[in-house]
Amino acid sequence: MVAPTGRLDVVGAPALKDAISELVKHGLPRVVIDMEGVSFVDSTGLGSVISALKQIKGSQGELRLAAPNQQVRVVLELTTLDRVFPYYATVEEALTGF
Amino acid sequence: MRPTQEPFEFRATLTALDQGLDVLHHSVELLRQATGRPAGDRPLMLFETALGEIGANVLTHGHPEGAATPVEYRLHFDRGTLLASFVDPGPPVRDHLARAMPEPTSEDGRGLALARTLLDELGYERDGEVNRWRLVKRL
Repeated sequence: MVAPTGRLDVVGAPALKDAISELVKHGLPRVVIDMEGVSFVDSTGLGSVISALKQIKGSQGELRLAAPNQQVRVVLELTTLDRVFPYYATVEEALTGF
Repeated sequence: MRPTQEPFEFRATLTALDQGLDVLHHSVELLRQATGRPAGDRPLMLFETALGEIGANVLTHGHPEGAATPVEYRLHFDRGTLLASFVDPGPPVRDHLARAMPEPTSEDGRGLALARTLLDELGYERDGEVNRWRLVKRL
């Protein structure tokens, strides 16, 4: 599980990419990103999540997003990325059957 | 607290990306408090999202590292209309405003398309040696 905090934007996105790369490098291709601590996301932050998805799928893994706030959900929907990332209301839900 | 329609004005000059984004989000929070809007106010949240997109774009491309001239930022609210403007000394922006939302698997290229969707008006003009951006949202 990865739990970024604060704004997942052009400043915060590289840290998420690095964290996912480390997990994939260590052979952990099933990842939940806990978004509860993310207050705001922008298109660069979304890009880092898409990058994570590509890395994880490239390792035959799976990525789930958990507990996005209203702003994150709206941005996912407006960019139609909610079709790419099924998101879960809580971490517990995301971990169910994972 | 019931939202008010009292005018609000905020101005700043921005130089660094991370601090500049802090200022933009802080200005929206000040506006929220001044107008008595709740934390989850959707129109203001949509505006803040667009402001973050354009602001990041301006501070990245419109103010190259080491540039002497700062980015001028203004946030103004009056009679239900929220207006943000940026003036930056960067190179002209071409074609970006017409860019469509990219494919879902694309890692970039969404910022301006997203901002356009979120705002009532997104204006851009080249004025001599500066770029002028205008973001309008009716609350």
